[in-house]
Amino acid sequence: MSFVPGLGLVRGMALTLRRFFEPKVTNLYPEIPARVPPKFRGRLQLLYDEYGTLKCETCFQCAQACPVECIDMGGVDTKGRFAIHWGPPETYGERREESALRRAGRTVPDPVYEHFHGIDLRAVDDILHEVDHDPKEMLRILAAIQAEYGYVPVAALKRVSQSTGAWYAMLYGTATYYDHLAVGAPRSTEGDADAAYLGALDGSLSGRSASTDSQAAGT
Amino acid sequence: MTALLKTPSSWPRVLLPAADAGDPTDLDSATRSGAFDALRTAVRAMTPAQVVTAVTDSGMRGRGGAGFPTGAKWRAAASAAGTRKYVVANGYGADPAVQTDRTLLELAPYAVIEGMALAAYAIGAHEGFIAVRADAAETIRRLEAAIGAAEEAGFIGPDVIETGWELRIEVRPVQGAYMLGEETVLLKALEGKRGQPEQRPPHPTESGLFDRPTLVHNVQTLAAIPWIVDRGAAAYAAIGSKASPGTILVQLRGPGGAGIAEVPIGTPLRTLVGLVDGGRRGKEAPERPVKAVLVGGPSGGFLPPDLLDTPYEFDALRAVDAHVGSGSIVVADDRACIVDLARLLTRFCADQACGKTIPCRIGTRRLSEIVDRIAVGTPKPTDADLAADLASDVVGSALCDHERLATLPATSAMRYFRAELDDHLLRSTCPAGVCHPIAVTVAGPT
Ligand SMILES: Cc1cc2nc3c(=O)[nH]c(=O)nc-3n(C[C@H](O)[C@H](O)[C@H](O)COP(=O)(O)O)c2cc1C
Ligand code: SF4
Ligand code: FES
Repeated sequence: MSFVPGLGLVRGMALTLRRFFEPKVTNLYPEIPARVPPKFRGRLQLLYDEYGTLKCETCFQCAQACPVECIDMGGVDTKGRFAIHWGPPETYGERREESALRRAGRTVPDPVYEHFHGIDLRAVDDILHEVDHDPKEMLRILAAIQAEYGYVPVAALKRVSQSTGAWYAMLYGTATYYDHLAVGAPRSTEGDADAAYLGALDGSLSGRSASTDSQAAGT
Repeated sequence: MTALLKTPSSWPRVLLPAADAGDPTDLDSATRSGAFDALRTAVRAMTPAQVVTAVTDSGMRGRGGAGFPTGAKWRAAASAAGTRKYVVANGYGADPAVQTDRTLLELAPYAVIEGMALAAYAIGAHEGFIAVRADAAETIRRLEAAIGAAEEAGFIGPDVIETGWELRIEVRPVQGAYMLGEETVLLKALEGKRGQPEQRPPHPTESGLFDRPTLVHNVQTLAAIPWIVDRGAAAYAAIGSKASPGTILVQLRGPGGAGIAEVPIGTPLRTLVGLVDGGRRGKEAPERPVKAVLVGGPSGGFLPPDLLDTPYEFDALRAVDAHVGSGSIVVADDRACIVDLARLLTRFCADQACGKTIPCRIGTRRLSEIVDRIAVGTPKPTDADLAADLASDVVGSALCDHERLATLPATSAMRYFRAELDDHLLRSTCPAGVCHPIAVTVAGPT
């Protein structure tokens, strides 16, 4: 099309003119409050941890607690044995992640985090087999995984959760608590709290302020 | 391994073997010098109740820091209902600056194993765990060698000294925050869970590991048991102070050196500080006046020089706002600033808290922030009172001892070094020149 000077402006003004005669959609909030359905509670979304793993454990606490009963969910227990559900019966027997996601209406992947990577899980299975899938031996399992892979991969945590019956969220809490285990990636030497403390103590005793070191950096 | 300090030859030695004892994991040489004699005597000629009585009569108090009477703990565990009981040796050594428990495990593994066996015999346990730090590879190696050798020789294992009684002992490496050394937390770790303390009572002696009666003891406590059974409770009660007899390992650090020493409980602090002061000081480290002594590790208290005559003993130290704790004694000279040190320790304790309860998660954190404000010269006028209030609230509402003791650096600094604190607080100056408080200067003609 050939270039006509001022055509864009005319088009824009034409749109404005058309809108001028359409019904209004804006509310005079707060004088006139918006009409919201009585059971509306905002958008449900399931969150991911920093390794891109779904945090929901299908514990049903939210479904039970929901005052307007707008949450229903279904799934299998962490060993894949029992189909458990909350809500209408059509949710029986679904895999919990798919189910939880579908029930929540949409998946909400957090763009900041990458999904955890798959690994060869045979070594994890051997380790689990050795202790008879006993969750009481969790620290031994985790230490063996750490020795095998050099760190504790999230995929391995998932597998351990599945086959010992320990909830992933609890397991994640356990694994990240201990300093001899490095979850997600091999540990870098920096960030060792003990070494930082000893260094800062040395400094402070010989008259160098502890405030300049990394310990205090968070203030 | 940290150096052992030379102590006066008149001080009795219960825990550490003689310096020339040779390979500590060699079972033959250990039995030649008396290892497992006490266990043999006990299982052949004593009832479990007699062993408990011997320990009670010795008056021994736990070396884990709190100084709880060992005999009372054994009685509770022995009388607790249940057929399955456990003995746990706490060799975690929470304080990163202290190596005493690790050193003891490396130098006298059989004493700890025998002590565990005696404790298990006294309360009727069949399983024992030794918790050690996962990064102490050498300690783990020696312990496993020692347990293997003792099992081979029949001192522990399926048939202890041909009595048909079974006892299994395992090493469990764990590594986590400072408060993982606390007993209920450690039991959580042995159960394979995240380390967080439990409400007490019920005490672990009633419901501990896997909800069964459990005896948790510091490794030093256990290592002294064979000595007591061997030589009698009266001999042990004669060592150290009346209120808490025996010896204890301390980790000293002063201008003239640093190291571990076995000292009778009740020795005045001045004598202990003397082990790392004077004499050995070279020319490059000129004489500096002692400004404060930090007793008890990261959650310890600062004591001024005029309290140096305080005996190193559980109750006496607690009365002056310090505690035995990790067994650490650090001498600070006039280069150090107490506010800066208090700030470092309070911060460390807050960082290492588990986060389970509000005083733990928020109380220690706020306290650390107040001390921070004082150190950097931006305090609020009420900060001293606020810190004192907060500390007493934390002490009153804490779930475990970590939060309670985490207030000690700040409260003891306020109690004994108020003048130095006021310099920071009111005048924004640091007398030691360590902190960089924002000095308020009035601009005038130059
Ligand atoms: C924060 C905190 C850390 C502790 N760390 C240790 C430790 O590293 N080693 C230890 O033996 N006891 C430690 N204790 C003490 C234990 O809770 C427990 O009292 C001790 O192991 C009992 O043994 P005992 O009867 O021989 O003293 C700690 C306590 C607290 C509150
Ligand atoms: S069901 Fe999932 S989303 Fe709901 S409370 Fe439990 S873990 Fe959270
Ligand atoms: S450290 Fe968290 S409750 Fe004591």
